[in-house]
Amino acid sequence: MKFVAVIRQVPDSESRLKIDAGRVDLSSATLILDQMDEYAVEEVIRLQEKHGGESVIVALGPERFEEAVRTALAMGADRAIHLVQEGYLDPITQAEALAEALRAEAPDVVLTGGQQADWDSQALGPAIAEALGWPVVTWTTALELEDGQARAKHDLDEGAEVVRVSLPAVFTTQQGLNEPRYPTLPGIMKAKKKEIRKIPISAASKVEVLEQSIQERSRLGKVLDGTKDPHAAASELIRLLHEEAKVI
Amino acid sequence: MIADRKLAKKGGGWLLERPEGIFTPEDFDDTVREIIKTTRTFVEREYQPVAERLEHGELELNVPLMRKAGEQGLLGIEVPEEYGGLDLSKTISTVVAEELSPTGGFSVTYGAHTSIGTLPLVYFGTPEQKAKYLPKLASGEWIAAYCLTEPGNGSDALAAKTKAVLSEDGKHYVLNGTKMWISNAGFAHLFTVFAKIDGEKFTAFLVERDTPGLSFGAEEKKMGIKASSTRMVILEDVKVPVENVLGTIGKGHQIAFNVLNVGRYKLGAGAIGGAKHALALSAKYAKERVAFGKPIAHFGLIQHKLAEMATRIYAGESATYRTVGLIDEALQGKSGTEAVLAGIEEYAIEASIIKVLGSEVLDYCVDEGVQIHGGYGYSAEYPIERAYRDSRINRIFEGTNEINRLLIPGMLLRRAMKGELPLVDAATRLQKELLEPSFDQPDDLELAQIDNLKKLVLMTSGLAALKYTTKIEEEQEILATAADILIDIYAAESMLLRSRRLGGGVYADMTTLYLYQALDRAQSAALGVLPRLAEGDEMRVMASAVRRLTKHEPTDLVDLRRRIAQKVLEAEGYPQPRA
Ligand SMILES: Cc1cc2nc3c(=O)[nH]c(=O)nc-3n(C[C@H](O)[C@H](O)[C@H](O)COP(=O)(O)OP(=O)(O)OC[C@H]3O[C@@H](n4cnc5c(N)ncnc54)[C@H](O)[C@@H]3O)c2cc1C
Repeated sequence: MKFVAVIRQVPDSESRLKIDAGRVDLSSATLILDQMDEYAVEEVIRLQEKHGGESVIVALGPERFEEAVRTALAMGADRAIHLVQEGYLDPITQAEALAEALRAEAPDVVLTGGQQADWDSQALGPAIAEALGWPVVTWTTALELEDGQARAKHDLDEGAEVVRVSLPAVFTTQQGLNEPRYPTLPGIMKAKKKEIRKIPISAASKVEVLEQSIQERSRLGKVLDGTKDPHAAASELIRLLHEEAKVI
Repeated sequence: MIADRKLAKKGGGWLLERPEGIFTPEDFDDTVREIIKTTRTFVEREYQPVAERLEHGELELNVPLMRKAGEQGLLGIEVPEEYGGLDLSKTISTVVAEELSPTGGFSVTYGAHTSIGTLPLVYFGTPEQKAKYLPKLASGEWIAAYCLTEPGNGSDALAAKTKAVLSEDGKHYVLNGTKMWISNAGFAHLFTVFAKIDGEKFTAFLVERDTPGLSFGAEEKKMGIKASSTRMVILEDVKVPVENVLGTIGKGHQIAFNVLNVGRYKLGAGAIGGAKHALALSAKYAKERVAFGKPIAHFGLIQHKLAEMATRIYAGESATYRTVGLIDEALQGKSGTEAVLAGIEEYAIEASIIKVLGSEVLDYCVDEGVQIHGGYGYSAEYPIERAYRDSRINRIFEGTNEINRLLIPGMLLRRAMKGELPLVDAATRLQKELLEPSFDQPDDLELAQIDNLKKLVLMTSGLAALKYTTKIEEEQEILATAADILIDIYAAESMLLRSRRLGGGVYADMTTLYLYQALDRAQSAALGVLPRLAEGDEMRVMASAVRRLTKHEPTDLVDLRRRIAQKVLEAEGYPQPRA
């Protein structure tokens, strides 16, 4: 069987981004394999460990994505295909380009992140399925293969559902699907020798980004005076944390 | 200064010739960067969850953590592939040491195992010894310890009292003695023990934990690195099979000292990692803590500290990776004992420099880090408190900083005497030059200032060598003065060459700040020993040469430090250059 993880490289959620002339400036950001895609990589490796066959990484993005692709290979995937294009492409256009490569690979299972951290979009997985004409299961928390079909559990807003789906199919990940491993040093060394097939593409984005900005979260800066009546101040603090901040 | 282009690549050669380029962290390839990431993830996922318990006495947690490190491949970096390792570069083992350093005690467990514990076997073991032990050490199934120090002698390691006597049947050596301060003693399986055969021939032995007669003292109650195990190792009629003699009988010092050389540059790298951690904690705190209605990061005196911390880290980092780059180059295609001589002994001077520099940068950073935290820095609730305690050991082990300071000029002089480095020629030529000084403005002021410091140290050491000849070893203060100037030269030159590649900015500012202070320190130190080295007119001529060689224009250091501090605050820590 063949298992594919579609991955992307995104800024680390902890790195501080700068805006330069209405554009996010990534020059000082740490770029990582999208954590939602990490579940996908882990899952294809596990599926391969269990069912044999091949685990393949497919990525679409600029040259710099290669680092994330190497990380996925260092985790244990067999080889990779990197569709190279600089600049922004909307998810639907990406899905169309990816679908072409995926069709040629003819995998049984395609996994990708339930959400793309950088665009805050959940479109990529379903759009790939649509472009391929394959079924999709979103927000997958458990996946098992049996007789050419898959049994998958997926999250709903206030619950969960177990579904059976015929293969090939696309699955998007949800936290809890697995606990992704991180590369071992031997894995990193082996990944250097694994194949990354680069295919330059030139798709035209259907959406153009005109301007980007970062939401500034200002602090309330509320200070409670506890010098006169510490009891009252403490009760007020608890009330604020409970009712306004909603953290307790 | 001298035309022979190869000199700059020799250990100590930089004193006579400026290198064209140096290795820097910006040269790390994808593999190194990926390994840095994996090491960080190891710290977050494996170490952090047990950090508190480890710190509070559950030292046995080191063992599963080491196994996990073994699974990730972190214990096999310097072990040959045929013995279950990965045989990777020193750059890689160094970045890993740097990344693990904020773990404090655990990084000592790791370092004692991978450096002083495992390397004696890697470099000096027979194929049988390697096959027997290295796969276990590379996987973490076994943990290693290194037993050199004794209760009565630490710095003077060759004064060891532990004895080894060959048994009558010639099959065993019987070891008796006590080893002190042995890292990993609580759980190690394999001990490299140094003892004197018949009280004379200093030799290393491989001793397994369950050998009868081997016992251990209680855990030492330490100031810091509490997560590490440190115990006395007691040997009472311990029978060690003759096959377990490591290396050549009577040549134990070669093992002891070369393994320490590796330990030293890694300690330096670890210290720089710890210092970056302290700076990150301090910069974040300074932005959050409000006093007199403003974040304390706003105050000049806080900015002064942040700028000094970053500058010294930049110095230590640049010097460390420059050296590691030289070592990796020298080790290309070599292994075993040959590798030791070509790559590790060759750069023993630099290893000592990095050890002293790194450990003192770290102590400065944790000290000012606590100060920036005010009262909270004195509380165990804040990580800077542990960083402060964990730092202090670094000036003591792997050769105290005093011993390393003495080694730096000592080794240089020895190489000069052996004709390996043409220092005497250079000093003689310098004599003439100093008498006929040129007052031309140099094209490149900062490079010229570094060259001047080189001349200064050649001049003072030359005078000292002439005056004291073989008794120079008794003039420790003069040797340490030379060491301090040499450390500053190596650091400042590494910073400057790296800054030029980085295109200036904050890196140029840090270099300027460091160099300014280095010139001041050198002048004061040199003038402080000069009257011991020369008299009358000669002394006065030399004194004006010292002043000339350390001359610098007034510089607005306030502005410089404020600019550097801004970058530290933006980065919330050390402004790590981007490749
Ligand atoms: C936590 C910890 C872990 C350790 N782990 C290990 C280990 O795993 N294996 C191991 O073998 N050892 C280990 N050591 C020992 C360590 O290497 C020694 O403590 C160190 O070498 C100093 O020796 P000493 O304590 O005997 O001090 P001394 O040698 O007695 O020195 C005392 C002071 O005198 C100075 N001094 C000594 N000689 C001279 C001189 N000639 N000129 C000028 N000044 C001098 C020293 O610099 C120092 O300031 C460890 C120590 C500690 C504290």
